[in-house]
Amino acid sequence: MPENGVRLLPVDDDSWRLEAYLRRGGYETARKVLTSMAPADVIAEVRQASLRGRGGAGFPAGVKWGFVPQGGAAPKYLCVNADEAEPGTFKDRLVLLRAPHQLLEGMLITAFAVGIRTAFVYVRGEYVRVARRLEEAIAEALAAGYVGPHVFGTDLGLDVVVHHGAGAYICGEETALLESLEGRRGQPRVRPPFPAVVGLFRSPTVINNVETLATVPQILARGADGFLGRGLPKDGGTRLYCVSGAVRRPGTYELAVGTPLRQIIEVHAGGTPQGRSIKAVIPGGLSAPVLMPGEIDVAMDVDSLARAGSMLGSAGIVVIPDGTPMLDVLHATARFYAHESCGKCTPCRIGTAWILKIVERLRRGGGRPADLDLILRLADGIRGRTLCPLGDGAAMPIRALVTKFRGELEQAVLR
Amino acid sequence: MNGKRQIGLTIDGLKVQAAEGTNVLRAAEEAGIAIPHFCYHAGLEVEGSCRMCLVEIEGLPKLDLACSTVIREGMVVRTSTDRVREARKDILEFLLAEHPLDCPICDKAGECRLQDYYDRHGLTASGMVEPRERRDKKAPIGRGLILDRERCVLCTRCVRFLRQVTGTGELGIFERAVRSEVGIYDGVPVDNNYSGNLVDICPVGAITSGDFRFKTRAWFLARRPSVCPHCSRGCAVVIESVSGYPLANGERRVYRVTARENPAVNGFWICDLGRDGRHDIDDGRHGAVMEKGAPLKGLSWQKALADVAAGIRAVPGPERSAKVAVILNSRLTCEELALAKGLFVSGLGLGNVFFADRKPGPADSLLLTADRAPNGKGVLDAGFSPRLPGLGDLAAAEVLLLFGPHLLEHFGEEEVARALAGVPSKYLFAAHTGPLDRLADTVFPVAVPAEKSGTYINVEGIRQPFACAVRPPFGVVPEGAILSCLANALGFNAGDADGR
Repeated sequence: MPENGVRLLPVDDDSWRLEAYLRRGGYETARKVLTSMAPADVIAEVRQASLRGRGGAGFPAGVKWGFVPQGGAAPKYLCVNADEAEPGTFKDRLVLLRAPHQLLEGMLITAFAVGIRTAFVYVRGEYVRVARRLEEAIAEALAAGYVGPHVFGTDLGLDVVVHHGAGAYICGEETALLESLEGRRGQPRVRPPFPAVVGLFRSPTVINNVETLATVPQILARGADGFLGRGLPKDGGTRLYCVSGAVRRPGTYELAVGTPLRQIIEVHAGGTPQGRSIKAVIPGGLSAPVLMPGEIDVAMDVDSLARAGSMLGSAGIVVIPDGTPMLDVLHATARFYAHESCGKCTPCRIGTAWILKIVERLRRGGGRPADLDLILRLADGIRGRTLCPLGDGAAMPIRALVTKFRGELEQAVLR
Repeated sequence: MNGKRQIGLTIDGLKVQAAEGTNVLRAAEEAGIAIPHFCYHAGLEVEGSCRMCLVEIEGLPKLDLACSTVIREGMVVRTSTDRVREARKDILEFLLAEHPLDCPICDKAGECRLQDYYDRHGLTASGMVEPRERRDKKAPIGRGLILDRERCVLCTRCVRFLRQVTGTGELGIFERAVRSEVGIYDGVPVDNNYSGNLVDICPVGAITSGDFRFKTRAWFLARRPSVCPHCSRGCAVVIESVSGYPLANGERRVYRVTARENPAVNGFWICDLGRDGRHDIDDGRHGAVMEKGAPLKGLSWQKALADVAAGIRAVPGPERSAKVAVILNSRLTCEELALAKGLFVSGLGLGNVFFADRKPGPADSLLLTADRAPNGKGVLDAGFSPRLPGLGDLAAAEVLLLFGPHLLEHFGEEEVARALAGVPSKYLFAAHTGPLDRLADTVFPVAVPAEKSGTYINVEGIRQPFACAVRPPFGVVPEGAILSCLANALGFNAGDADGR
């Protein structure tokens, strides 16, 4: 757990309630911001803190807020992306369960900075208990005047609406989330226009991940410089790293951005179980290209992983142990994307399904070595050509698995 | 160009100008550079889902959509680089992987984007050895439309048309990923007056028309522009017909009527009433001059018309005004109306020139107007004050010239029969057979608007000249020809009108 002061999650499981949060100094930062700061200064502070989005793309939050046009008659909205569905990722769930008020405080500050009075939290459909906890927390905050029409006795207010998703991975994609929230099929929209300009109900909209928003109060409490005391100059603060797979202590670890992957696996998560070794590591959720054991001496931040040919994504680390048939991993990956493709654009709809059909045939023993090249060609036909990032998210890990485990897969195919 | 600011950009090395707000795809098209696309349609909102129109835009790392990218000053676009070609090939390979390739039995063959683009941009051997998804190949979705889900490329033009244009929203996308399919909601079929446009806009053979299905091949059809005569909107249409060889009995001549783009009148769409107008062109037509209810062999319309002239001449000049009556209609072209005016009003000095038209029907908020005749404005423009005859006016006539069958929409058949019983000479000029036939001494077969050249003035006062889109059958002539001949026979100058 964190070695110095910056802490997103309380350790205690029962401390999610408002009372406990207030004891920890909760909502004091929001009070200070709303009663004594100018919105533009809040955005500037967050921008300076290099808070990069925790949802997957790693886009700087302060910059994103700056895209929202000021003035204008249309209302502006805040959408909280709690549709956490990237395989290997379970951090937002923890924030919502243990620190829902911290999210609300972050939302309050963000809404103030951008001039928003209505926020929607889009919660993953499977997160029933999680959504219920959030609703309880909102009820507490509403009763105590921390959200609602008037906050801290000011004219500022924030209405918070919890929306339950219906279980589609694609709705974690921001424009598909907006479509779903508006009551339509969850499918991405063509961009531009970007949501900051034309978003929910055609109004300017800020969409941020749960962890991103829950991190905002720290920045305003300690200042950008204090926040940058952890993490890296271009990627500040701590992150919640989810570790699963072949480790002794799987779980969520809050660590400075840039902590080496090997350290997270071997020190924090306790390394692989007795007698097992690492065959491969997925560093940032299933969409992140797999790393070989020799590649895990990499700092876990957005830029370092991009340089390593993978991505930090949602920081969901999956450790794959020796003895795992990579054809199975390839199959699980291909099946997931073929199942979750929304079907709107051609390359993703047909490409993912075609790849899955090939992989299924390989598993049945009807493979040709040329099939692996075909998979690579199809993945290249998807990459960079789709309507939303899900296409790249499907093509890249499949490409990496086939390239890096070519020898094993060829043997498995010819078997 | 609409007074909009012109933006200069470069497409494939060509300096082009287009109005501000235009997308790259349209700007390229205006410059004569075709960018392939399935989902984009100028009459619908941009969807960006087929990914066929990806092009290179200088300064952007990835290929971008020509349909959704709005042009900017100085933009440099490349539409035929290796990267773009490669992307098109891949998209086509994906679409064809899940396509049934049943072109030999597909109505769309010959005018199918998938076929055309494969020819121009694809030509790859298929690497697909996996079984294709099996789907419903003939789902009835209402109004005689048949949906083939295997051919569908999910461009959603149909879904968007029904949401954005008619606002009826009968179609939606169901299921997800590769199982996605177009469909109607339970028990609520497509049912609106614009359903036929779905066939026009479907880029492949997924939505076909029951009326056209399996009837002919697209490449047999001659396509000629015309103006729809079924209401006063005057939508731009294409008459698609076979020609060049004699038709077997019962074989169609006009296979379909489709929409033609005309931004000033109908945009991209036509209504089903107008589309069903193909029946008006081919069905129930008079083919020869009839006398006393039976076709008369060896009697040409010219010979028969000599009788009409003689009949009129037999009425002494001073009595003609009261004893010769004419009923015109608003389906006549401006040129025909001018001839009629010159002959009947100025020439013969008739007092009894009436009009009988189709009764108005319900209008809708899109294109269809209540006035079911195409040239009501043209009638006024020609200087007529159209009025319906009274039955007494007709009974008093000695010579009666009836243009069109619409008298019976306003009076009962029996009362008209009684009124006409005492009229010595009655001539009917009609395109279609009908109950009025038996009441006339002679029936002249005349052309329908698609078989004419002329001008209509639409409800908004727009003059729309059109040319003959399909040749009238032998022995059938436009009213214009009849009016010219009659004028000549009666010694009046018929003007320069086409006397064919």
